[in-house]
Amino acid sequence: MSLSYTVQRSTRASQTSMSLTVVILIILIAAPWWAGRAELRLMVEIFYYLALAQMWSLLAGYGGLVSVGQQAFVGLGGYILFALAAFGGVHPIMALVLAGAITALIAMPTALVAFRLQGAYFAIGTWVIAEVFRLSFAQISALGGGSGMSLPASIVKSIASSRAGREHLVYWVALAIAVAAMALVFFLLRSRWGLAMTAIRDSEPASESLGVETYRTKFIVYVMAAGMTGLVGALIFLQKLRISPDAAFSVQDWTALVIFIVVIGGIGTIEGPILGTIIFFILREFASDWGSWYLILLGGIAVAVMLFAPKGLWGLITARYDVHLFPVGRRLIVNEEKSK
Amino acid sequence: MTCAKTGFIDRRTLIKTGLASAALTSSLSFTRRAHAADGMIRIGFVSPKTGPLAAFAESDEYILAGIAAAFKEGLTIDGSTYGVEVIVKDSQSNPNRAADVAAELILEDEVNLMVVSSTPETTNPVSDQCEINGVPCISTVAPWQPWFFTRGGEPETGFEYTYHFFWGLEDVISVFTEMWGQLATSKVVGGMFPNDGDGNAWGHPELGFPRPLAAQGYNLIDPGRYQNLSDDFSAQISAFKNDGADIVTGVMIPPDFTTFWTQSRQQGFTPKIASMGKAILFPVVVEQLGDAGHNLSSEVWWTPNHPFASSVTGQSAGQVATGYTEATGRQWTQPIGFAHALFEVAADALARSGDPTDYDKVRGALAETQLDTVVGRVDFSSGPVPNVSKTPLVGGQWRLGGDFKYDMVVTANGNASDVPTGGSMEAIS
Repeated sequence: MSLSYTVQRSTRASQTSMSLTVVILIILIAAPWWAGRAELRLMVEIFYYLALAQMWSLLAGYGGLVSVGQQAFVGLGGYILFALAAFGGVHPIMALVLAGAITALIAMPTALVAFRLQGAYFAIGTWVIAEVFRLSFAQISALGGGSGMSLPASIVKSIASSRAGREHLVYWVALAIAVAAMALVFFLLRSRWGLAMTAIRDSEPASESLGVETYRTKFIVYVMAAGMTGLVGALIFLQKLRISPDAAFSVQDWTALVIFIVVIGGIGTIEGPILGTIIFFILREFASDWGSWYLILLGGIAVAVMLFAPKGLWGLITARYDVHLFPVGRRLIVNEEKSK
Repeated sequence: MTCAKTGFIDRRTLIKTGLASAALTSSLSFTRRAHAADGMIRIGFVSPKTGPLAAFAESDEYILAGIAAAFKEGLTIDGSTYGVEVIVKDSQSNPNRAADVAAELILEDEVNLMVVSSTPETTNPVSDQCEINGVPCISTVAPWQPWFFTRGGEPETGFEYTYHFFWGLEDVISVFTEMWGQLATSKVVGGMFPNDGDGNAWGHPELGFPRPLAAQGYNLIDPGRYQNLSDDFSAQISAFKNDGADIVTGVMIPPDFTTFWTQSRQQGFTPKIASMGKAILFPVVVEQLGDAGHNLSSEVWWTPNHPFASSVTGQSAGQVATGYTEATGRQWTQPIGFAHALFEVAADALARSGDPTDYDKVRGALAETQLDTVVGRVDFSSGPVPNVSKTPLVGGQWRLGGDFKYDMVVTANGNASDVPTGGSMEAIS
């Protein structure tokens, strides 16, 4: 009996789902023609939480970089947008893109500091870095110091000539950012960087001994995730119209809720954050008016999922049905042949 | 979800389904409302019901019950009667959430008018959303400077859709100095201003305390902006001690003031006067200090003795406050009057608008408001800047004794002589 092997990337389910993804994407692009203003705004919010969740899942689930300081980059992106648009006279959409790029640049020296720490110390370190950013922005009086500032109405109106045009443009930008975040994770994981990252996650010393450039891999992933997070942050505060240090660098809004989404959805998958985002928004639509009970409910669900389904709800689904909508892994198919 | 295979999973599935259906039914009962047919006016109300600012929203339910009773028969506008529905959203004391719920109220619930209360962290994000979406908005319980200037307001033009009534820093400065003038002191004042919306405004060298205090011969010791929720104020306390401060002032959040006041006493700093904004508005905070809260002073925006009455229910300030104590068993607090007045101004503007479903007509009526409310006269044409109306401010001291552990005694009424005083300033012993 001899065995032959083939390495397979996609399954029939994933091929079907890729074509389904294209259909869904077309429907979403057409949303301004079928959805109302409230739905569009809600979808913008869903898209930015989805993008944040994908970035956190990329860092923690694939790179093993458990950061609780992603709000540093959300806040930076938001503040850079406000500074460029309000003082630099840059068109808000252009400022959005620049905010992402500048955030990635600032993330480079940040990474040099954070990467001196490992594991739990890295997590705490990223939080401390975010607090440093919060306190620093609270000292910049041109940006309102601790009081914060509003984006002048004239600048918001300069995005497009009409209110509908403005809302549609922001919607498409948000959709593009969410798609870009998912595409970044998808293509990164299919590249050799992806392989290197998963190796680092499983054992950093072992992968280093096998010739993986651990530091460089981690650095590149961290900076890319920061840039994307900064872009999302700029979008968030373009929607909120007002920024202040506490709002911009809120650990609860931009990291804790994102971790919740990734944990209940399933860490280290592309599908998990999508499922997690959907569940989070359903919960929020129903329960956010319950006050403290809502937060207790979220915490309770997170604890229950961590105890009973450590790989998240998507992990439960794949364990049972073996579906992978986005083929990023490789699977070994063993073909058994009878030999004479 | 997977099929139940074992008893264990069975139970869990049951619990999960149970939770989900409980979530569904209870939300139906009090958050969702049928999209009303014509003839319904919707007012959006954003308030910090949970989180660190929750004390401000304590009286919301009592006020809303009163408003609901007053408009049971609806509001008659230009011959047609409209039902009134107030949709309340919790900001969770979080400016991000405040912006989101305001957008939800505007886009999803399609409110005709927005009202919002309690600190710049709540009023400003909500006002910004209303301004850009063209929805009229009434806000209160934030001094007008942090509401107007940090939103980029220009004194020549003002805002298009957002209106605000409350007092300003100039009032609190005159009230505080009036109280300080009643006692013989060294005229050296220690200032505790945090790095937040209120602290930056109060400590602002031009618009805040420093200039007028200097003009009146007070020497203000300002050790600089500190971060909220600090746990050590030794540096500030020793600076005040070294310079011989007899007075401390500032605008601290309650937990910080408790820390500061306890440490002051431990470190032997005993000023004669402590006039603190924001921190000691609520009797519960003063009670936490034990007997060390006696004769602390603060700005007073509203008391049951204010000689005003509601334009909606006709109740006097005293009746509104007593009603609250009867309904809840708790002592009156200052936001009660303002929460009530928000709905007075709202109802008045809607009634004069001719068509409450037209944002611009409501805005036009709002701009022309001249109404005597339970917190005083609201008139947007007479404010220091456009879109702002000032309500009277007095000052008072917390004194031990009375029906509750502490009672508020008005000791300075120079800005509003129709509000009776209950005594004169006493030094802290």
